[in-house]
Amino acid sequence: MRRLAVGLALIGIIATGCGPGSGSAAAPPAPTVTGAAGDTHASAYDAAESRPREDTIYPDVGDPGVDALHYGLDLRWDDRAQRLTATETLLFRAATSADHVQLDLARQLQVGHVWLDGKAVEFEHPGKDLVVKAAVRADSRHLLQVTYAGTPEPVVAPTDRADFSTTGWTIAPDGTVWTMQEPYGAYSWYAVNDHPSDKAFYDVTVHAPKGRVGVSNGQLLSRTSSAEGTVTRWRMPEPAASYLVTIAIGRYTETTDTGPHGLPISYWTPSDRPELVAGLRYTPQAVRYLETKVGRYPFPTLGVLLVPSRSAMETQSMVTLGIGDYTLSRDVLVHEIAHQWYGDTVTPDDWSDLWMNEGMATYLAEANWTGDHTRRSRTGILRQWSSFVAGMRREYGAPAAYRPGTFGEGNAYYIPALMWDTLRQRLGDQEFWSLARRWLTTHRFTSQDRDSLAAWWSQASGQDLTPVFHRWLLGPTEPAWHAG
Amino acid sequence: MTREELTADDVDELARRAQGGDRDALEQLLAAVRPRCLNVCRQVLPYTPDAEDACQDALINISNKIGSWGRQGRFTTWMHVVAVNSARTTYRRMKNQAISSDVLPLEKPDPRTTSVIAGTRLDLLEAMETIEREHPQFVEPLILRDVYGMSYDEIAQQIGIPLGTVKAQIHHGRKLARPLLRGSD
Repeated sequence: MRRLAVGLALIGIIATGCGPGSGSAAAPPAPTVTGAAGDTHASAYDAAESRPREDTIYPDVGDPGVDALHYGLDLRWDDRAQRLTATETLLFRAATSADHVQLDLARQLQVGHVWLDGKAVEFEHPGKDLVVKAAVRADSRHLLQVTYAGTPEPVVAPTDRADFSTTGWTIAPDGTVWTMQEPYGAYSWYAVNDHPSDKAFYDVTVHAPKGRVGVSNGQLLSRTSSAEGTVTRWRMPEPAASYLVTIAIGRYTETTDTGPHGLPISYWTPSDRPELVAGLRYTPQAVRYLETKVGRYPFPTLGVLLVPSRSAMETQSMVTLGIGDYTLSRDVLVHEIAHQWYGDTVTPDDWSDLWMNEGMATYLAEANWTGDHTRRSRTGILRQWSSFVAGMRREYGAPAAYRPGTFGEGNAYYIPALMWDTLRQRLGDQEFWSLARRWLTTHRFTSQDRDSLAAWWSQASGQDLTPVFHRWLLGPTEPAWHAG
Repeated sequence: MTREELTADDVDELARRAQGGDRDALEQLLAAVRPRCLNVCRQVLPYTPDAEDACQDALINISNKIGSWGRQGRFTTWMHVVAVNSARTTYRRMKNQAISSDVLPLEKPDPRTTSVIAGTRLDLLEAMETIEREHPQFVEPLILRDVYGMSYDEIAQQIGIPLGTVKAQIHHGRKLARPLLRGSD
């Protein structure tokens, strides 16, 4: 048996090009870990315990055997060689007993070594899966360390939307690195359980070359510059799904602002485009407006990061906006900030429930905010949407049963927005917004699905609303929306 | 994520204005459909630079032939057909170049780093070429159904032939294609 195992491992090495480093004999000692992440029993990361699941739409990404608790990423970017060199420290809980641990990691990144609980372990890296050859028992916690390097490439996105066709690590012509990675694509630059059912804490350190700076989510703990470049350390103090992680490395200027209750706000704009800051100064008012609808802003900081994209993402507590007339418009800014409540605080645990994010963000921003701040009325806006959504349901499917190749099409936005308005009319304004707030406080920082949502709204309102949710989200024909 | 700036209705509206000679509308339209067009091309030409070439050709064809969009279906559906045909033309051109320069590889290289000549859908494109010689009318419905996953109804509307004919053509096309595809020997 022993000989056979060695033979198989060798075949694995040859077939996957891992190199001689994948065997335990050649590996150096594991990198030293500092802080709570090094203690597998620390309770600091208990809040990131999740029930990871296999996606019904994109089952090839993510693995339900891993429950990531904390990602520590140390990233060094060489812009001349376009090479990322990284050390990753992942604290995870084994969700099931298994003879291996599997993470998503793009094939462009060559893995140097892998250690589990301080011991070098063998691995295979065929395609985009990093398979660590170590047995784990259900519910045990482990510390996985990985070194890797390479030139990351974006991942093809399962959509034919006009504003993006790839996700993940993207290098702009001017050398700026940026990411947007919904529904997946985080695996283009780190080893990750790339699925929204598995939230985790993050500490990200970026070593940026001279003249550039690394920006990520959450709080900026430190920023130091030397002859080599700039090192920034970022921390997310609440757990986040991988598609809500952002990173950019470029020539950025930071401008600070203050939101309601003293909320620290930062704007990261290209240093050669100082005029772009002015439009972002609407952020405090956007937060104030949204707080009147869905309650207190859920994170300790907020930022807005501008990147050379044509889309915009609600990355957690650091919204990422493309530089363009549309993506820098106020309703897009309000939409992405609205996701900090609906999407980031409570997150879908399966991509069939993307509508949970987009329906409420669209209802809050494009219907309510626009109705309250422009000459268009909320009723007029909703009436216009109701005129075209039937075609979207036919073309892309029901909002919670869309075709896999049509991620993020209009059916996931406009139809559930009309559904929420129908529920608002049925429950009355006060009850509706009160429940919209309580759903968040009772499920904060978790991932949920449409069944738990429908059951909770029914129980909390004392009315069986499940048929309403089912008709709008899964039905073959478009329910009627009435003005009211 | 932000919603798309343009809905399918907006795209149709732009296409109608572009048909009427509005240059700005045409520019906006091409920018709006480019990613969709690239994805269509990528499905048959896995090597990105090849798909980009085909997409570029498709956009030129769209602007030249926009008058022939019949307005009875979505503009994007019509665009799919133009993009498929551009991808096939690109493939044919590359194959001819490869044969003339005698670089057709013998073994199957990595499709992500090697041009379409050795790409993963070589078998599919070859099957289409073979079918086209005897039954050119089967090719378009077959691609629309099995590569794009379009419904029979949509295909019938798109090509302008009866539903029963579409179903029969796809059925016969599949029978011809099956022995020509990889993994079916």
